[in-house]
Amino acid sequence: MLQAHSLLWNYLWVAPNLFLLGLGFLIWKRGLSRQVPAFLAFAVLGALGELVVFGADLAPFVSAPNFWRIEWANLLLESLLKFLVIGEIFARVFTQYSSISRVSRVAVSVFGSALVLLAGVIAGFAHGDNSRFLISGVHLLEQTVFVIESGLILFLFLFASYFRLSWDRLSFGVLLGFGVSACVHLAMLAIVANASPSEHVRTLSDFLDMGAFHLCVLIWLYYVLVPQKVVKKSVVPLPENNLAVWNRELERLLQQ
Amino acid sequence: MTLALVLVIVAAFALVVILGLTVSTRLQLSPGSALARKIEPVDIEAFRNLVDPTENEYLQRRLSPAEFRKVQRERLRAAAAYIRVAGRNAAVLVAIGQAALNASDGATVDAARQLVDNALLLRRNASVALLRIYFALAWPHSALAAAPVLHGYEQLNGRAMLLGRLQNPGVPIRIAAN
Repeated sequence: MLQAHSLLWNYLWVAPNLFLLGLGFLIWKRGLSRQVPAFLAFAVLGALGELVVFGADLAPFVSAPNFWRIEWANLLLESLLKFLVIGEIFARVFTQYSSISRVSRVAVSVFGSALVLLAGVIAGFAHGDNSRFLISGVHLLEQTVFVIESGLILFLFLFASYFRLSWDRLSFGVLLGFGVSACVHLAMLAIVANASPSEHVRTLSDFLDMGAFHLCVLIWLYYVLVPQKVVKKSVVPLPENNLAVWNRELERLLQQ
Repeated sequence: MTLALVLVIVAAFALVVILGLTVSTRLQLSPGSALARKIEPVDIEAFRNLVDPTENEYLQRRLSPAEFRKVQRERLRAAAAYIRVAGRNAAVLVAIGQAALNASDGATVDAARQLVDNALLLRRNASVALLRIYFALAWPHSALAAAPVLHGYEQLNGRAMLLGRLQNPGVPIRIAAN
C-alpha cells in the first residue's frame, strides 16, 4: 500500500488538488475572491499545475527530462503564488492599523531578506540527492522555498501574537494551512535533499508530504465552509471604577 | 546528514510554535469583562518622576558618581516594571478594542479603532523603551528616552475612557491610578 503509484499514492496526489479546485470554486461562489484573490489564484493554478505534473508522470509520451522540466515550471509558479498569498494575508492583518503598519512592513522585509540569505547558505551546503541538476535542483529549490515560507509564516504568527492582534477567520485558516504544510515539507525535503535516504524512505516521505498537503486542503475547506460562530455582542462590562479620580487625572494631564 | 537533522528540528519546532499559537489564540476568546479585569492600574505620576530628566540631573548633582549609578539603576528597574505593566495593559486594550470593532454603533467603532491604534503604538513604544532601559542599566549615565511611552500612555488613557463611555456611559475604564 505504501508504494509509489499505489492506489493510496494516486489518491493522495490527485484528490487534494481536486478538493483545492473545489475550494477555489467555493471562494468564487461565496464572493470571497475580492478578499483573497491571490489565494484563489493559488487554489486554481496550483491545483491545475499539480494535476498536469500527475498527468505527465503517467503519460508514456512524456520523457523523464521533460517531466522534470514540467515539475520545475510548476514549482516556480507555485512558489510565486505562495509568496503572493503570504503577502496578501500580511496586508489583511497588519497594514490596517496605521500605528504598526510601517514597522511591520520594515520588520517583514528585514526578516524576509535574512531568510533568503539563510536559505541560500543552506542550499550552498547541501550536496544534492542526484548527479543531474534537473532533478536535484528541484529538491534544493523546494527546500529553499520552504525555509523562507515557514520562516515568514512563523514570523507573522509571532508578530500578531506579540501585539495580540486578532485574525479574521479566513486569513487565519489560510496561513495555518500554509504553516503546517511548509513545516512538514521542509522536514521531509531536508531529509531527501541532504541525507541520501533509501528509496523506501523517499517513498514514505512522499506519502507524508502528500498526506500533509491533503490535511492542509481540509483545513482550508473547514475555514471556508464552516461559518464563524456568531457571538452575541453585548456591552463590555468594564471594571468598576472611580469616575471622579479618573477625570481628575485626565484633567491634570491635559493641563500640563 | 547534520544539515538535514538541523532542518528537521527547526521545522518541528516551527510547527509546534505555530500550533501552540493557534491553540492559545483560540483559547483567548474570553469575554470583555474577563479581559478588562486583567488591566492593572499604573501610577502615571510615579512613572513620570522616574523618567524625569530634571530629577536625574538633580540626583547627579547631589550624589557621588557611585551612589548615583546605584540609585539610577534602581530607578531604571522601577521604570521598566511600570513599562512592562503598561505594555501588558496595552495588549489587553488591543483585545478589548478589537472586540468592540464589530459594534453596530459607528461612534463606538471609531473609538475602538483609535483605541486599538494607540494601544498598538504603546506596545511598540514600550518594547523600544524597555530595550533602551536595559541599555541604560548597563550605562546609567546615558539619556533615558521613555518619553514616547509616557505620551502614548496618556493618549491611551483618553481613548480607553472614550470607548468605555460610549459602550457603557456609567462605568468608565481606568488604566491609570490616581
